[in-house]
Amino acid sequence: MFSGELFFNAIVSGLLIGGFYAAVALGLSITFGCLEIVNIAHPTFVIFGSYVTYILNVNFGLDPILAGLVFVPAFFVLGMFLYRFYYASFERAGQESLNGLAFFFGLMFTVEVLLILVYGVDYRLVSAPYIGQTWHLGYIDFPLRQTVPFVVGTAMTIGVYLFLSKTFLGRAIKAVSQDRLALQLMGADPIRVKQYAMGIAIATAAVAGSLLIILGPVEPSQGRLYIGRVFAMVVLGGMGSVSGTLIAALLIGVIESFVATFYGPSWAPAVSFGLLFITLALRPQGMFGRA
Amino acid sequence: MTSSIIRMSKGPILENRIVIDDIVAGYGPVQVLRGVSVHVEPGETVVLLGSNGNGKSTLINAIMGIVRPTAGSIILERDGQRIDLIGKAPEEIVGLGIAMVPEGRRLFPALTVEENLMLGAYRKDARAKITENLEFCLEAFPALRERYKQIAGNMSGGEQQMIAFARALMSAPSILLIDEPSVGLAPILVNRMIAKIAELKTHRNLTILMAEQNFNQAIKIADRGYIIVHGEIAFEGRNTEELKNNELIKQYYLGV
Repeated sequence: MFSGELFFNAIVSGLLIGGFYAAVALGLSITFGCLEIVNIAHPTFVIFGSYVTYILNVNFGLDPILAGLVFVPAFFVLGMFLYRFYYASFERAGQESLNGLAFFFGLMFTVEVLLILVYGVDYRLVSAPYIGQTWHLGYIDFPLRQTVPFVVGTAMTIGVYLFLSKTFLGRAIKAVSQDRLALQLMGADPIRVKQYAMGIAIATAAVAGSLLIILGPVEPSQGRLYIGRVFAMVVLGGMGSVSGTLIAALLIGVIESFVATFYGPSWAPAVSFGLLFITLALRPQGMFGRA
Repeated sequence: MTSSIIRMSKGPILENRIVIDDIVAGYGPVQVLRGVSVHVEPGETVVLLGSNGNGKSTLINAIMGIVRPTAGSIILERDGQRIDLIGKAPEEIVGLGIAMVPEGRRLFPALTVEENLMLGAYRKDARAKITENLEFCLEAFPALRERYKQIAGNMSGGEQQMIAFARALMSAPSILLIDEPSVGLAPILVNRMIAKIAELKTHRNLTILMAEQNFNQAIKIADRGYIIVHGEIAFEGRNTEELKNNELIKQYYLGV
């Protein structure tokens, strides 16, 4: 059963999927990790992004990655509106914990049902020249269907990491939930900071949607598969640490791939939660979190 | 009421003064300040004295827009413009060149020293002077240069107070409000901190309003001061001699 070929292919395949996971978890690392907004509708925006990619690909023949870049501004604005609504309805009144959670739960189902009403429950897929091709390095396979999402997802995550550490707005996003008043004393408006942060988070979710539909066909309720996983990655990585989230995503990708290869695919979903349990027991601040 | 006029000054700022006239402020039904008038002239160091719970912090919070007064006026005179500060958000007031070192420091504990200092330079006018101000701060507090990449929350109380000062200076203020700098510091550190404030003031040409319980320390750097008792100005000392000889001070601080 065990062979070097299987072993290394499992590692590579896990890393490739992990890069995609990072793209999905990235936005949640901002909303949940930095803003402390429990956006359980986050994966729904990923699926929404997949469908927009699908529409642009099928109707205009646009490359899925290019489609992702084209609609980034639209999702950025959508995210800003979403925060404004959330703020005006819940956060301002201090009702974010329960009512806000219910709001995102409702939003998740609403978007899902809308997609089902318009496109049905069938799987949708896109076409691009690289989907279906595989590069080989020795006996290790690099299916481009997975490699392209890995490259784009990792690059986007590193880009956001640099943005958060090197720019004024980025640092303010990291600081806003630590001490809101102190941030005001730095001359920053916390509401605007959070609004931009949510815009960035939703935009990255939509790009992850483009990656998802490159990986394989997508149907409206698929986002639910990712909810637990992405929350696990954000907590494992240490709340609000983008670099930690990236490492957690790659790690979960690799372990899932191993479990799927050597024990059977049905065990793979247990990985993220198993890892989460162990980590929370031994290191509550996350594997890479700051104590 | 004066209309608020905000003009971005390009040249050097000539004159900055804060004039607080008869303000009433508090938290909900609790009235803390009952008709307080205070003024701070350009280049002065003015101290607010008084024991805990008399309204020193509330006064500083009212200037910063954290507490909104229900009556009275707070005017910033800046290059001949009169700007009404009441009703402005703290971030707008910071934008006018007023910085605050809050009580308890209020750093961003999970961020590094570097990130804390850079956040200090968030406002537009400060970003242009970032290199110069950073060099000044690290020169003034060499310990921060050594620990530049470390997490602020893991550092000692004295070091955290240095970060709080440096962070406020990074915003290139012309007026600095300091709330209880000695709280939570060992006496020897309080000594150093007070000496440092005096040094910073002369180097940066700052106007300072400082709330402090520790009379003996505050008096070292004060030009003049006010004693607040139960939300009212109980005494205004035009110089340190007047403060030292005041009966209230003798009673409260000097144990005479």
